[in-house]
Amino acid sequence: MNPLIELKDITFKAHTKTILDIPEFQIYDGEFLGIMGPNGAGKSTLLKLAAFLEQPTSGDILYRGEIIPNGNAPLDLRRKFSIALQQSLLLDGTVFHNIAIGLTLRKVSKSVIKEKVAHWMELFGISHLAKKNALYLSGGEAQRVNLARAMIVEPEVLFLDEPFSALDFPTKIKLMEDFKCITETAQTTAVFVSHDLLEINYLTNRLAIIVNGEVKQSGPTPQVLEHPNASTQSFLNEWKKFYPALTGSRSPSSNFKSVEKVSLR
Amino acid sequence: MKKNRFLIALFALMLLVLSACGNSDTKDTAAKEKKPAPKPAPTEMILATTTSTQDSGLLDVIVPMFEKENNVKVKTIAVGTGQALEMGTRGEADVLLVHAPAAEKAVVDAGDAINYKRVMYNDFILVGPKDNPAGVSGNDIKAAFKTLADTKSTFVSRGDDSGTHKKELGIWTADNIQPAGDWYVSTGQGMGQTLQVAAEKKGYVLTDRATWLAQEKNLNTLKIVVEGGNDLMNIYHVMQVNPEKHDKINSKDAEKFVNFMVDSKTQDVIENFGKKEYGQSLFFKYTE
Amino acid sequence: MELLIDGLKKAIEMIFSGDREVFAITWLTLKVCLISILISSIIGLPLGILLGLTRFKGRRLLLLFINIGMGLPPVVAGLWITMLLWRSGPLGDLTLLYSPTAIVMAQILVSLPIVTSLTCTAFQQVSDKMLLQIKALGATKLQTLAILIKQLKIAIFAAVMAGFGRVIAEVGAAMMVGGNIQGDTRILTTTIVMEVSKGNFDIALALSFILLSVALLITAALTFLQQRKRIS
Repeated sequence: MNPLIELKDITFKAHTKTILDIPEFQIYDGEFLGIMGPNGAGKSTLLKLAAFLEQPTSGDILYRGEIIPNGNAPLDLRRKFSIALQQSLLLDGTVFHNIAIGLTLRKVSKSVIKEKVAHWMELFGISHLAKKNALYLSGGEAQRVNLARAMIVEPEVLFLDEPFSALDFPTKIKLMEDFKCITETAQTTAVFVSHDLLEINYLTNRLAIIVNGEVKQSGPTPQVLEHPNASTQSFLNEWKKFYPALTGSRSPSSNFKSVEKVSLR
Repeated sequence: MKKNRFLIALFALMLLVLSACGNSDTKDTAAKEKKPAPKPAPTEMILATTTSTQDSGLLDVIVPMFEKENNVKVKTIAVGTGQALEMGTRGEADVLLVHAPAAEKAVVDAGDAINYKRVMYNDFILVGPKDNPAGVSGNDIKAAFKTLADTKSTFVSRGDDSGTHKKELGIWTADNIQPAGDWYVSTGQGMGQTLQVAAEKKGYVLTDRATWLAQEKNLNTLKIVVEGGNDLMNIYHVMQVNPEKHDKINSKDAEKFVNFMVDSKTQDVIENFGKKEYGQSLFFKYTE
Repeated sequence: MELLIDGLKKAIEMIFSGDREVFAITWLTLKVCLISILISSIIGLPLGILLGLTRFKGRRLLLLFINIGMGLPPVVAGLWITMLLWRSGPLGDLTLLYSPTAIVMAQILVSLPIVTSLTCTAFQQVSDKMLLQIKALGATKLQTLAILIKQLKIAIFAAVMAGFGRVIAEVGAAMMVGGNIQGDTRILTTTIVMEVSKGNFDIALALSFILLSVALLITAALTFLQQRKRIS
C-alpha cells in the first residue's frame, strides 16, 4: 500500500542544531500512528513537518507519491489536514463559532455549517454548550471543542500533539473513550504524539519511537511495546516500570453508542 | 452583530466626513464672521505682538478693521517680547507691534526692522498688597523700588524678557540695585499669571495698566500704590520686518498695517477702547 | 465651590445661547482631534500589527524609538514642528505654520507612537502556538490577520482611546504651532489657557466643562464599541 504522506531524507536544523534526521517516514491511510520519545526528541517538529506546517532544512515530503517542493504546500493541500494541540487554544466567541471556524475559513455555506457543527457537537456530547463562550469552558470541555473543530473539516490526516496531557485522569479517560469511538466510526487517519504509554496503547495501531531526532523503531504497536530494540529499550522500560500490565495487546473497542452528555463542572 | 457593525460604520463615516471637511480651506471658519463676497482670496500677514497686547483685547477690535479694509488675513501671534523681536529678526513675521523701545532699537539698528513708527502708550503701575507694608506711594518709581529692596518686601517679577520685564530691570539698573534673594520672585510667565502669583503671595508687582484693569476683579488682595511718573510710560511701536533680509515677507500688507496704525481714524479707536468698560482709556495716542 | 458652579452655569449658557465663537472653537477642536487620531490609527494600527507579528533585523531598535516617542513632551514636538514649518525651515514653502494642519501634524507626532506601541504589545503577546493553530485550521495570511484583529479588538480600541486621550489634551504644541489665532487655530485647550491668562476664570471653567463633555462623549462611544460582546 502506498503511503499517504512520506518523508524522505529529512533533516531539520535550527540555529546549527540538528533537530531531526530521518531517512524515511510514512503515514498510511486509515492508520492511527503513534509517535513517542523522550523530551526534546523532535516529535512535535516531525508532526509539524508531516502536516506541512513547517519546512524541512533538506529532504522531500511527498503527498500521495508527489513531491511537494521544499515541503511548501499550497493552501489547498494544507487544508486537507487538521491539528489539535495540548492547549485547546480556542477563540473568544461561542463554542459554535469555534467549531465552525475551519468551515468558515473554507467558505462553506451557512446551512451546511449549521448541520455539521450540530453533528459534531452531538458526537462529542457538547451540544448543550453551543452558545457558551469558549473561553469559559472546563479543560475537558475545551478539548472536546478543540477536537470537534479539528475533525469537522474531515481531514485526510488528523495530527494530534498530546491533546490529552493537560487533562486530569477521569476527564481524560472519558474523552479518550469517546474519541476512540468517534475516530473508529469515522475511519480517521491520525498521527498521535504522546508521552503517555496508556494513551498510545489504547488508541494507536502503529507506533514509532523517536530518540534524538531519529526514528529508532517503528511497527505495529503491540510489537514495538513487547519487543523494544536496543535503542528504544531503556526508554520503554522506564514506562513499563509504571505499567507492568501493559503488554501491548489492544483493548477491544467498545461499540459506538450515543455518547453520554459531558457534565458541566 | 449587525448593530455593532452599523455603529462602527457610522463612526468611520463620521470621521471620513470630518476629514473631508478638514481638508477644505479652514479659512472658512474665519470667513463665517466676515461673509466674504466673491472677491480675490485674502493675502496672509503675520503680526507678531506680545501677550499683554493681545490680552488687553485691543487687537480684537482693530485687527478686523484692518482685515476688512485691505482684504488681508492677519495671523496674530501673541508671544513674549523676546520671541516677537526674534521672529522679526528671523523673518518669521511680517510686522511687529511691541513695547520694549530699548530692545527694539537694537533690532532697528541691525537693519532687521524698517518703517519704525510710534503708535500709542499706556503706563505701568506698581501694585502691591492692600495693607502696603513697605509704605510706598506717589509717582516716584525709582524711590519706591529702592524702598522695596531695602525692606526686602516680596517683589514678583515677570522674569521672561518681556517689555514689562525689561522696564522693571531698567528701573533696578537706574537705582544701581541687583535684585536677588528670597523676596524677589521670578515667575517666567505672562502678566496675568504673574499678577495672580503676586496676589497669592501678597507681593509688589510692576504691571501695565491695561492688564491690571482687566484682571482687577480677581486680585482682591492688591491695589495700585505707585503711578504716573514719566519713567512709567509703556510705549508701543509698530515696524515692518525688513523684506530685503528674508524671502517670503509680505511687505505690501505690512506697510499698509504700519500706516493703518498711525492713521487718525485708527488712533481714535485706540483711544476710545475700554472707555465704556473701565471708565478710562487703556491706551493713549502717541504718534510722532 | 462657587467658581465651579459659575463655570458650569456659564457653560450651559454658552451652549444654549448658540455662541458662535464657542461653537467654532469646539467644532475645530473636534475636527483637529478626530483627524489626528484617524491618521494615527490608519498608520499606527497596521504598523503596530506588523511590529507585533513579524521579526526582522532592527525591529527592537525601531520599537525602542516608538516607545520613547510615547513619552515625547508635547512642547518638544511643538518646537520641532515649528522649526520644520516656519519660513526658514525645510517645509517653509508650504506656509503651514499657524494653521490647523500644523496642529494636526503635532498631534499625530505625539499620538502615533502610543497607538503603534500599544497595538504592537497586544499582537506580540499572541503565542506562536496560537498562530500555528490558526494556520493549521486553514487560514490564509489575510484570514489569520482578520481573526487576530477580532480577537484583540479590546486591546486595539484601548490603543486608539489612549491616542485620542492624548490629542484631546494637547495644548503646548497646539499653542506653539497653531498660534491660537482667533477663528483659525483656536481650540478649546488653547482658549482655556488664554482665558486663564486674561483672568477670566469663569469662561475658562466653562470651556473646560465643554472640553470634558466632548472627551467624555467620544470616549464613551469608543468604550461602548470596545465592550460589545460578539453575539452571533
